[in-house]
Amino acid sequence: MLHRTEGVVLRTFPFGEADLIVTYITPDLGILKLFAKSPRKIKSRFGSSLEPLTHSRIAFWGKENTPLPRLTQSDIIHSFQSVRNTLSRFLAVSEMLELTINFIPERDANKKSYFLLLNTLKAIEDNSLDNSSVIPLENENLFVSHFKIKFLKFAGFSPKLDACGRCGKNGNNFYISHGSILCETCARGIDYPIRISPAALKLYIDLLTWDISKIRRIKPSNMLLSELSNIINMHIKYILSKPLRCRDFFSFHVNDLTN
Amino acid sequence: MEQNIIEKLINELTKLPGIGRKTAQRLAFFILTMSEEDAKGISKAISEVKEKARFCNECFNITENEVCDICSNTVRDRSKLCVVEEPCNILVIERSKCFNGLYHVLLGALSPIDGMTPEKLKIKELIRRVEKNSLQEIIIATNPNTKGEMTAQYIRDILKPYNIKVTRIAYGLPIGGDIEFADEVTLGKAIEGRREI
Ligand SMILES: [Zn+2]
Ligand SMILES: [Zn+2]
Repeated sequence: MLHRTEGVVLRTFPFGEADLIVTYITPDLGILKLFAKSPRKIKSRFGSSLEPLTHSRIAFWGKENTPLPRLTQSDIIHSFQSVRNTLSRFLAVSEMLELTINFIPERDANKKSYFLLLNTLKAIEDNSLDNSSVIPLENENLFVSHFKIKFLKFAGFSPKLDACGRCGKNGNNFYISHGSILCETCARGIDYPIRISPAALKLYIDLLTWDISKIRRIKPSNMLLSELSNIINMHIKYILSKPLRCRDFFSFHVNDLTN
Repeated sequence: MEQNIIEKLINELTKLPGIGRKTAQRLAFFILTMSEEDAKGISKAISEVKEKARFCNECFNITENEVCDICSNTVRDRSKLCVVEEPCNILVIERSKCFNGLYHVLLGALSPIDGMTPEKLKIKELIRRVEKNSLQEIIIATNPNTKGEMTAQYIRDILKPYNIKVTRIAYGLPIGGDIEFADEVTLGKAIEGRREI
């Protein structure tokens, strides 16, 4: 049976001589893995349409529940070429792609996460094309942080940062193993809290509640943003019981190569 | 239960890329009809390549010696280095007869989502070569896709302190194709990379 939908390419995996397995996120089928015949050949009709981030209209062929239906057509709606053709920017968005692959189930509608990804990519692209941008390139992290926080909410894995997760009292110590703030009484006997500053908490709530179109108005310091993303990243690592692979790239320093 | 010997051969053959079960069956039955000499020739060539093939100490091309034929060839231009992802890329560039310098194989491309970080590639070794030799140009011939492009940019950035000319092979339309069928990204890149004629 022939199916049609649209999707964003999250990842490609070489298969056999010149074939690819392409992982999409789609609004109606969630994560969708498709087999593409020969796209790696220079004259392939798929052209550049299977490169990561490409938003395209796709058609695929396969019986219900075939593990790997065959991609028959892919027409680019938007390439997001300007997002993926700069190393720092592509690194930043890779985290969003990896998070999506890890959390979204296969073949299950997921409109919210789909449009969150698409809108974030658009916002990052608009920001990169806008020379008068208030957000410098390295601060695209703000968009990525916004994505992660909203994404965790849609997936039902938000950390509880506004009050004690057990009794609701105020507190400012976050416990990774509980995914929550715990007040002094409730935290008795539990080790390794991470202190969260009131400013970081406010930033979290802003990012959680504000729409992406307004994000550029928030201008957190790099220190504040990294305080919050640190907590979010540890939370993600705990939920997945592994760090995102992309994090290896960030923890890696050029000096490791040259020394 | 033990596998029938012909079953076993079919199963082994399906491990090759592009060989499905049917093709593997056909090949297996063909091998049965081959002369013993021919069949042994194939199996010997396979085990020899596995025993003797190794990476060149200099460039990570495949060779059976410490240093590959290209690196040890004294006629080649030692001031130019062409950086490729895989050893098989060297074969096709050699066939083009357009390059007479040396190579450096990265053994992969950067891909954050797949955990392919710089230290998993032969980038450190590339820097060593740049430091040790008086090179004039590094030509980056990684694949014209996102992974290849990220790798090219990373190498460009990391080689900046060495003040060496770094070039990237051109993006263009495949020869013999029609502009009509090119997608927007490929065509955009081809227009960007235009030159005066
Ligand atoms: Zn409490
Ligand atoms: Zn060599």
